[in-house]
Amino acid sequence: MSAALDSWFTREILVHEQALERYLRRCWSHREDVHDLRQDIYVRVYEAAGKALPTAPKSFLFTIARNLMTDRLRRAKVVPIFTVGDFDGLNVLVEDDSLERVSGRQALARLAAAFDRLPDRCREAVWLRRVEDLPQKAVAQRMGVSEKTVEKHLAKGMRLMANWYYGGQSADSTGSAREASDDDGFTRQQAD
Amino acid sequence: MDSHDSRRIEHEAAAWLARRDSSAWTERDEAGLAAWIEASTAHRVAFLRLEATWAACGRLRALGAGVRSGTVPRRSQWSGLPSTRDATPDHPGSPRTVARRFRTAWAGAALAVLVVGGTLAWGWRVYFASGETSYETVAGEMRTVALADGSSATLSSGSAIDVRLGYRDRRIGLRRGEAFFSVAHDTRRPFLVIAGGRRAVAVGTRFAVRRDPDETRIVVTEGVVRLEALAPRDGSPVPSALLTAGSIATAHGSNVLVRAGSVADAERILSWRSGYLTFHDTSLETAVAEFNRYGSQRLVIGDAAIGLVRIGGNFRWSNSEAFVRLLESGFNIRVERLPDRIVLHSR
Repeated sequence: MSAALDSWFTREILVHEQALERYLRRCWSHREDVHDLRQDIYVRVYEAAGKALPTAPKSFLFTIARNLMTDRLRRAKVVPIFTVGDFDGLNVLVEDDSLERVSGRQALARLAAAFDRLPDRCREAVWLRRVEDLPQKAVAQRMGVSEKTVEKHLAKGMRLMANWYYGGQSADSTGSAREASDDDGFTRQQAD
Repeated sequence: MDSHDSRRIEHEAAAWLARRDSSAWTERDEAGLAAWIEASTAHRVAFLRLEATWAACGRLRALGAGVRSGTVPRRSQWSGLPSTRDATPDHPGSPRTVARRFRTAWAGAALAVLVVGGTLAWGWRVYFASGETSYETVAGEMRTVALADGSSATLSSGSAIDVRLGYRDRRIGLRRGEAFFSVAHDTRRPFLVIAGGRRAVAVGTRFAVRRDPDETRIVVTEGVVRLEALAPRDGSPVPSALLTAGSIATAHGSNVLVRAGSVADAERILSWRSGYLTFHDTSLETAVAEFNRYGSQRLVIGDAAIGLVRIGGNFRWSNSEAFVRLLESGFNIRVERLPDRIVLHSR
């Protein structure tokens, strides 16, 4: 697929992630599914856009989100019990603090807020690598850890920053704190 | 699909991206990454998302200006950014005047007063708003009450509800009878109606819950309601059915029977709200039970045989006398009027 499509996806779709997450959380009460739903929605959007680029990306994104939830409800024979919400009723989303709307300074503020919520070591690694532009090796020396560990801190930093910068959790500190600990739980699980 | 699947992919994408950022990155790694991305669109979108984030992180350099090299600044000291969270103090190292600092300090103090005051006011409101209010109707009475959250409850004859509008949820206990709820939309505070070991959960919808000694009935006329059973041991909710508009659910012991009909059917069952009882090919036994539920005058079936007679029609529930007269004239039924009840016999 083309670089043009990749950049379209970043520019026109990812910027709506906060609104999308809010929508999914409202319609789908199985919170742990939201991550997975979002991923599936992005896949569908990307693949459909590969065939024909939609003219109204945001409504295209939400239409796909709604269809996907409906499909899942239909496919699941037992699961939908938890699901409450009238997808059609929530069709129109007005709240718009998507990144495309906010000014450069506000986007920077959101970035700074996300950065400040990183765990200490993670935050240190991101700062030294991304702001001071030190190579990973130098960051490792500065922090007194191995390069591999720096890599892990950076990987975690990228994930958390993505969730807070693009994702819907920047305004809601309790949700994100939980998300962060979920995340740690998963990392541990992976390590076992 | 495994719900951790997307998280696993996200972890893999982050690992690739972090490794690409290292000095040990080789052409073989590059090919490996390309293959990983090509393997599935899920990989590709996860990678794009993190790559875009990492690129955006480059803008953090704007914050690094004036910070001594090799030091990581303390948290929340970014000055002058239009923060959506709270007012941030000036950057300590920035060349601002003392006067400016004083101004900021005063503004900070004023803000603190506002925040504390606001929190107290809010807490007070939440505390008092969450008190319990009870509403009751006597036999033959019907009443619609407006609840503080914008919802309304219509109590049928001889019904009682306890309302507790809290910060996290809106809880209605149906002590007896039947009530119809028109729920104001508020996703942060689900609307829970608890009756006979079950609860109906709604966000913004219209539905009725009726409590009988041995069963609970839920009728949904708009939106979706989730029906949950409450575990007898600790009262924790166990989901049992998802009810869409037009559903009529009858919970009996541990069983739930859901009839998915039309909204018109559901509305018909709830015609008591406009003061009517609507029967459609209903046994006289059921119809009499309905009248006894709503009306103040007690009807009794004298012979079991007439209980099986099928009737239909629209009757004002406050006027069981008219119903009885119709039975008398149109069916083979003899009416015996006693001081405390009306007995129906076959003729």
